[in-house]
Amino acid sequence: MMRVLRRLASLKLTLAALVWLGGGVVYGHWREGHFTVALVPPLLLLALNLMAAVATHSAFRRWNGLLIFHLGLIAIVLLAALGRLTYLTGRVELSQGEEFGGRLIESDAGSWHAGDLHRVKFFNEGFRIAYSPGLQRGQTRNLVRFLDDSGKEQTKEIGDQTPLVLSGYRFYTSPNKGFAPAFIWHPAGGGAPMLGTVHLPSYPVNEYRQAREWRLPGTAIQVWTLLQFDEVLINPDATSEFKLPDRHKLVVRIGDRRHELQPGDAVELPEGRLEYDGLRTWMGYTVFYDWTIHWLLVVSMLTVGALGWHYWRKFAARPWNETRLHEMT
Amino acid sequence: MIELKILWAALLAYVFAGSIAIVAVLLKKRPERTVLALMTAGLLLHTASIAMRWERLGHGPFITLFEILSSNVWSMMLAFALAYWRIPAIRPSAAVVMPVLFTVMGWLLMTNPGEGHLPPTYHTIWLYIHIGFGKVFFGAVLIALGISGVILARRTAFGAGRFERLPDDRRLAELSFRCMAIGFVFETLMLIAGAIWAQDAWGRYWAWDPLETWAFITWLIVGISLHARLTFNLSPRLGAWLVIGVFVSAFLTFFGVPFISNTPHQGAV
Repeated sequence: MMRVLRRLASLKLTLAALVWLGGGVVYGHWREGHFTVALVPPLLLLALNLMAAVATHSAFRRWNGLLIFHLGLIAIVLLAALGRLTYLTGRVELSQGEEFGGRLIESDAGSWHAGDLHRVKFFNEGFRIAYSPGLQRGQTRNLVRFLDDSGKEQTKEIGDQTPLVLSGYRFYTSPNKGFAPAFIWHPAGGGAPMLGTVHLPSYPVNEYRQAREWRLPGTAIQVWTLLQFDEVLINPDATSEFKLPDRHKLVVRIGDRRHELQPGDAVELPEGRLEYDGLRTWMGYTVFYDWTIHWLLVVSMLTVGALGWHYWRKFAARPWNETRLHEMT
Repeated sequence: MIELKILWAALLAYVFAGSIAIVAVLLKKRPERTVLALMTAGLLLHTASIAMRWERLGHGPFITLFEILSSNVWSMMLAFALAYWRIPAIRPSAAVVMPVLFTVMGWLLMTNPGEGHLPPTYHTIWLYIHIGFGKVFFGAVLIALGISGVILARRTAFGAGRFERLPDDRRLAELSFRCMAIGFVFETLMLIAGAIWAQDAWGRYWAWDPLETWAFITWLIVGISLHARLTFNLSPRLGAWLVIGVFVSAFLTFFGVPFISNTPHQGAV
């Protein structure tokens, strides 16, 4: 048993596994998305090698810092693995005044993710973004409203470095934001009216493509919507701020009929009445969940601190130019 | 602009310091006080130039290629000047280090000193911490490079003659190993600080973007070189080659990847 452990604890095996890990990183980078397959085998081998080394090498008993550093590395690998099994990343867009109800536009989650996102609720209350000359985006200041853990309503300004954190889910404002025409759909036959928004392509990056096709709820009717305005909203030559246009018109094409709408105008259809309620903004968010991040930070700091302590003790014990030849390593 | 003129004056001081150091090694002279004085003068001028630009633009030197090269010349020069001052035994290694710095200075001179925009994701203290740790790492590797260059140069009759008064190869290798160990600690800190910044700025702490990938590969190479020294009791010559490998990897990470890839590290979002 000890012989097997000693072989597994070989420093040469450590080197081979480190080189394998490096190769895995290069492979994962080259074949995008193959990081897990490329990194798990060498990391497993390194973890086994390290545990065997801790059990058999006397250096770890002599140097506590070295021991803590290596145990920390094992803990980081384990935490990262747990993080990969339980994480969630995703993306969502919310119109001004809209409540987040737990649904994401797209998401990716680890197989052990518990899925508590449906319990997370908050409202997007609009944003402010200043622009410098040259359409250089400044800080995003997005006001959100939510219920805290005690059930009390809170408002908070988030953006860029400041996420909204609810039940461990972190909502970050993304660079994507734009205009959202709001419609009320009154179905023929007396169904309940439905309020909805159409998120036009992100502005100002898609300044000249402010159109989108969508489908009326409960029907097969396709609606093409274009926002038109003459105003220069974000002046490329001056400091300005993202804002709604003072005057605009909404062009709506249904079949071969074209309509130009102002807020309050409506289009009558056999299937119901489509009323244009007005123009709002929408904000894009990236969503991130990984309960391990704080633990990773603590363990990483302990690990690097232990390494620094180890080297400090080792180097302080003897000046570099007084080291005896047989003690060089 | 006055800040540019001051920068050129600083570079001139560095070039004089480096040239004197190289000639001194060739002629076996020791004008070390002059070299140190010129390095210090260059650093003071360079600091003033960076401070003036910082004050004018309202952000530190980490947006454009010009700023990044300038701040790295400053930090590399500061690291080596400190080593030159505190470890007199390795002063002739300036003949190895200064040509490397001349190369980066030449690149700096050919770069457009125009202004860049500070992206909103750069408004964080973690940027300063991340960059600060990175500079200490690169400075430590630069000093190790100088020492390793001496070890390798001494393999030739010409180099052996010019660098004969330095400590023996074993002791130089030990000092180089210590620099690499310090570099390893600070590169680890740089990666941790970078992960904290990335989490806040882009909502993920690690995404294997090209810069993160290369920084991790460099970290692995440093780890491998430190481990290899323990495992195989490497000769100073082989250890020196490993240090050069680490320096090349770090150089590509610091100065290559950010400018050939379209990653968030460029501040594109």
